Amino acid sequence: MKERFIEIFIKSFAWLSGLLLLSAAFVIIGFLLVKGVPTLSLSLIFGDTSPADALLLRRQVLTGLFPAMAGTCLLVLLSVGLATPVGLAAGIYLAEYSRGNLKSFFSLFYDILAGVPSIVIGLFGFSLAISLHHYVKEIYPCLLISALALAFLVLPYLIRTTQFAMESIPSETRLTAPALGATKLQNIAYVLFPRSLPGIASGVILAIGRCAEDTAVIMLTGVVAAAGIPGSLLSAYEALPFYIYYISSQYRDAYELQTGYGAAVILLIICACLFLAAFYLKNQLMDRMLYRQ
Amino acid sequence: MTENKSNEIKIKTVNLSFYYNRLHVLKDISVEFPERSISAIVGPSGQGKSTFLMIFNRLWETIPDARMEGEAFIRLKNKWVNIYDRSISLPELRRSAGMVFQTPNPLPMSIFKNISFPLKLSGVIEKQAVDEKVEFALKQAFLWEEVKDRLSDDARSLSGGQQQRLCIARALTLDPEILLLDEPTSFLDAGSGQIIEDLLLSLKESCTILLISHYMDQIRRIADRVMELSGDTSNNS
Repeated sequence: MKERFIEIFIKSFAWLSGLLLLSAAFVIIGFLLVKGVPTLSLSLIFGDTSPADALLLRRQVLTGLFPAMAGTCLLVLLSVGLATPVGLAAGIYLAEYSRGNLKSFFSLFYDILAGVPSIVIGLFGFSLAISLHHYVKEIYPCLLISALALAFLVLPYLIRTTQFAMESIPSETRLTAPALGATKLQNIAYVLFPRSLPGIASGVILAIGRCAEDTAVIMLTGVVAAAGIPGSLLSAYEALPFYIYYISSQYRDAYELQTGYGAAVILLIICACLFLAAFYLKNQLMDRMLYRQ
Repeated sequence: MTENKSNEIKIKTVNLSFYYNRLHVLKDISVEFPERSISAIVGPSGQGKSTFLMIFNRLWETIPDARMEGEAFIRLKNKWVNIYDRSISLPELRRSAGMVFQTPNPLPMSIFKNISFPLKLSGVIEKQAVDEKVEFALKQAFLWEEVKDRLSDDARSLSGGQQQRLCIARALTLDPEILLLDEPTSFLDAGSGQIIEDLLLSLKESCTILLISHYMDQIRRIADRVMELSGDTSNNS
């Protein structure tokens, strides 16, 4: 009788916890949509510039969110693009090549890196930009420095998810290719890596989310309130999370605060699009590597 | 058990011992297997039957804390080769000694990609040659008629018996001289097992087959000779 009661209690507690999380997510998103969707309009994005001119980069958008959207997209693509190859290679190294003490040492190091607060990474990026400025006068805090710092921020996620995805492949699958005469590298390239792609993709999606939402790192490494579309990797840029932060602490009237919610909705939409793109890319890659003749 | 005396020796071991950590699984085994025959390896569980098979493609080397003493020889392309010699290329050895496991282990890819996988590994990429090889191997493994219209389906969608024949076909694509089979029918129903037995009998014309089996009636039906691995000794009959 008592055991049955405990079982029911634990079951309902687990169920309620799940429900709590789900409703919290719904409340947050619902709140954002209610507050933000009414402000969504072409003029929120493009200001008084015509959309065609803005998209073709013929005229700068001065009052809309378009430069911040472009900045966030560029920043995410750049930092995830920089971090992914390094993260995958390090994850493969940890899972397949390193053994014993060296492996524990590397794992500890990556865990520490994962625990570094983003503001510290931002500070590091800032210091890097300043010291580089001594040698190359063109380098200030800029898009490239931000992307590098963010890449460091998300590297541990990529490394760990790649490693776990590879290590969780069952040993029958692991031995199949060597038994058919595969070298270690062939086994990794043709079997272990394609098999790990779903796990790796979730790591990449985590990384995209982290890069898109981070404010602390970019505040110190090159984001500004008004810069327009960045002209090069070495120019300052705008970004949506920074805009949200800035507008919510400095707003002058109710409308400006409203645009903050609008920006948050746009940020969510951009993230969703990037997730979908990552997912599509994963499916295409798996199909190419595993099924197409 | 009939043994064809005219068949030459294909595989032999000399004073072979095997250890997992401190555990001494194979003790001082010297044995010979004739070519173009099916040799069954029997014995209680845990006596190292699977380990014994892995001696001949050196797959045990991926297992941590495993250690081997003694020597193993295979007559490859009519030349005796010490397969533990430094000059031996592992991928080449494993292409000459194909292995099929107890549980069918198709890779998570299409049927075609599974069969052509060993070809890709050894660098055969010419489309027509690959297509011909795949068809030939599938025919050899009695599977072609069943899968010829669905080559791009996931191999895991096949039935257990078909998957095991797929694995045999995959091992056959590189024309191995030796086939190592670890209880290939133990997870299959009687009908599928019967097909595999017929298949093995047809393959022994071109291959030397070492087969682990628990079924005495299966051994009686297809094996030319039997080797028993038990506690301290190995007996040949």
